[in-house]
Amino acid sequence: MSVKVEVIEGGVPHNKIMIAGVVSTLVCLYLTYLNVLTGTEMFSFFGGLAVVAALIWGSHTIKVLCSYGIGTGVPSAGMIAFGSGVIAMLLATRFNILAPIVALILAAIIGFILGYVSNNILNMKIPAMVQALTEMAVVGALTLMGFAALMTGGFTFAGLTTGTVTVLGQVLLTQQQSFMGGCLIAVAFLLGAIAIQHPFNACLGPGWKQDRMLMLTAECGFLSMLVAAIMSFALISAGSALISLVIAIIGWGYTYCQYMILSKRDAAAWLDSKPIPEVEGH
Amino acid sequence: MEHIVFGIGITALTGALATVAGSAEDTESNIGSQGDPNSQVQLAPQMGFLHRIFNKAVAGEPPAYGLWCCLGAGLAWAFMAMQFNAVLAIVLGSVLAVFVQGVYATTAYVGRTASLSKFGQPVYVDILKSMTPVTMAHAFIAIFATVALCQLINGALGHPFPLPLLALIWGIALGAAGSATGNPYYGKERQYQNQKFGAGVPISASGNIVRYAEAGERNSIDNGWFTAKIGGSASGICFGLIVFLELWRTILFDKIGAGWGSIAIGVLMILIFTVVDRYIEVWARKNYGPYSEIKEASS
Amino acid sequence: MSAVAAKPATGSAMNPTAMGVGVVLLLILLGICWFVSPTVGLMALIGVIIGGVLIGFGVHFVPVGGAPAAMGQAPGIATGVAMLAAGGGLAGLFGGAWAAAAGQDPIVVVITGGVGGGLMMAITCMMVNFVYVFGMGIPAASGKVARDPITGDTQAEYKSQGTEGHGLPFVSFVGGVTGGIFAGAGGTLIYLELLNLYEGALPTLMTLKPEQVMPIAVSMAGMFAVGMFLVNAVLTAYNITGTIEGPHDPKFKRWPRAIVASAVASALCGLVAILIVLPLPFT
Repeated sequence: MSVKVEVIEGGVPHNKIMIAGVVSTLVCLYLTYLNVLTGTEMFSFFGGLAVVAALIWGSHTIKVLCSYGIGTGVPSAGMIAFGSGVIAMLLATRFNILAPIVALILAAIIGFILGYVSNNILNMKIPAMVQALTEMAVVGALTLMGFAALMTGGFTFAGLTTGTVTVLGQVLLTQQQSFMGGCLIAVAFLLGAIAIQHPFNACLGPGWKQDRMLMLTAECGFLSMLVAAIMSFALISAGSALISLVIAIIGWGYTYCQYMILSKRDAAAWLDSKPIPEVEGH
Repeated sequence: MEHIVFGIGITALTGALATVAGSAEDTESNIGSQGDPNSQVQLAPQMGFLHRIFNKAVAGEPPAYGLWCCLGAGLAWAFMAMQFNAVLAIVLGSVLAVFVQGVYATTAYVGRTASLSKFGQPVYVDILKSMTPVTMAHAFIAIFATVALCQLINGALGHPFPLPLLALIWGIALGAAGSATGNPYYGKERQYQNQKFGAGVPISASGNIVRYAEAGERNSIDNGWFTAKIGGSASGICFGLIVFLELWRTILFDKIGAGWGSIAIGVLMILIFTVVDRYIEVWARKNYGPYSEIKEASS
Repeated sequence: MSAVAAKPATGSAMNPTAMGVGVVLLLILLGICWFVSPTVGLMALIGVIIGGVLIGFGVHFVPVGGAPAAMGQAPGIATGVAMLAAGGGLAGLFGGAWAAAAGQDPIVVVITGGVGGGLMMAITCMMVNFVYVFGMGIPAASGKVARDPITGDTQAEYKSQGTEGHGLPFVSFVGGVTGGIFAGAGGTLIYLELLNLYEGALPTLMTLKPEQVMPIAVSMAGMFAVGMFLVNAVLTAYNITGTIEGPHDPKFKRWPRAIVASAVASALCGLVAILIVLPLPFT
């Protein structure tokens, strides 16, 4: 027996959020390509902004899916999204500049088939299942690509698997100290999987409000960007990582404060050191 | 020979770290009220039982601990790649991972409680201020111990997986072991302390959790103290046994029979645990006896 | 307070058309793989499919009670099924990866992974019963059967009033261990197949020496094993709708659906994982 999910209405319609999410994520991912055009790594922070945009879209998809009472918890939806997304994302990185578009198409195919399997072979028969799983696989793939771009400056397979190490003053190429070699993709995987399901899970209840949930998603996204930016100090130049870190800190601080203000607005009471209120009959 | 002795020494150290991690994990998840027992904390206001328990709805323990440990390890890996000292790197990584955990805990409490505003459940800012540092402190112990044992497995014992991937695996295993062992103890014994001891909670009592403590109103630090009595230690032993036995059988017996030695020992261990479990089950049936008269098996 | 659209009860019904479509999809994916890489790729894909099916099937054995189990209202372990199975299977993958790195025989590697997963589940299930019996004073009882299928113990009178059972009856314990063995073996099989494939194909793709690509191969294979593990475990969780008492539970009979679902999902993800290292025409 857990909190029953109620009919949740109001706010911006899901399709609008989806379109806005797709467009802004792809735009931010391609803005990281400026790194290649200008020969620096300064624009890596756009990868983090892509993560935030994709997560906002993805958390709303999870809200749509889990409103139907799927029988399992909310976290498993995040896991299946990223489990299918990670494989699509890595294949897409082989396609150099087309990587984000390929990731979108490939993840959509994988998500669609998984949705069909869940709905028809496993007989879940939830109206929104196929579209939701398709969207979530795409969100998973694009979020991971955003993390990769944030931490390494690009989204190509060669860039993700090669790093540098300084031995006796000599800078050598190595596979070990790279995004894939150190398996930082595992960190990105879990960061995204928890961040995508947390906002709906944490705002679950009869008093659910869309603006509060989306603000929380932005906060989770910026928090993930913060720690990913710290990890990126090992892989990209200190100046570029510092830019990402500063943007993430500012973004997180703002969204966290806003989230607290919105929660104060919605809560029954905001008490400090007060006893349990007396309720009739209990 | 020296190689095996070194391996056994490291194995013993990782076993000890795992035991500490397991007990800290269970204590932390009960202070924060995470996982399946938390459904009761969320249900209680809907049944009219308002409370001052920290309602940390951050996924379940396995994925959450998978994240904190993997994050701590990823950060430690990054720091070590920047030529930081290994111990310092693990400490810094754990501190940053705990910061993330604390933020998630606060947003979860505030979010869930704000969504239950219809039932009059208030957000207690003092609960937020006093529980969060305690849960963060316990989480730090768990994360640090897990990342340290992963670093030992990777660095000293030579496992091929890189540090973040190892920490993902052991973080999820830590959460699963701690959650499986500790959840019923917290859920049944502590939350439903007013129910009769020695029986499950009847469905009619759902939501009627204990809200008043020995002195004043119950909060989650009381639950942390309670967990340390048996739940924490049991979870610690569980995870410690898992890590220690897995490493021990591989280090000692892997060379015998080209791998079949460790498989045989593993199967033997599973059989031993099966016998012990059966003994516990039979002991309970004999000593506690049935709740009602033995009925004829009717269908 | 009820869910949005009242969806028809899923039950154990099998949808023959959908199962047929699933099998056709599986054959199409196998065909694509055969077309792209007849020998190495196809072998790897078959291995991945078998591994995925093992995971999906094995997770049905694991006794999971969910939120009611945390209150002593239902038998099983009080954790989510996908993540509990992931914990067991990944512990098995850990052992299997070590054996693979030591260069042992593939059969030994897979069985090592299985034993690792089984050991983790055995210890966990034993400690669960330990806490129920010695910490809470509650004997184990099942709510779904009158007698334990393995030991013959009667269950009804050991069930406390108002509950559906509690703890881990012996058949649930055996189920948990079996589930851990299958899941660990399946995950290790996926890892091994992908590792062998990547070790063979990455040197040519990245024009590097084999020792240099080892970290990448291990990381990629490990990450994909974890990802596919989670996908298969979540699909099984959808199949059993969240909780199951073990192999004696009537819900266990739904396993054929999960076999087809896992096979299709693993084939799909495996094909994409294999395509990563094959030379593609337009890159």
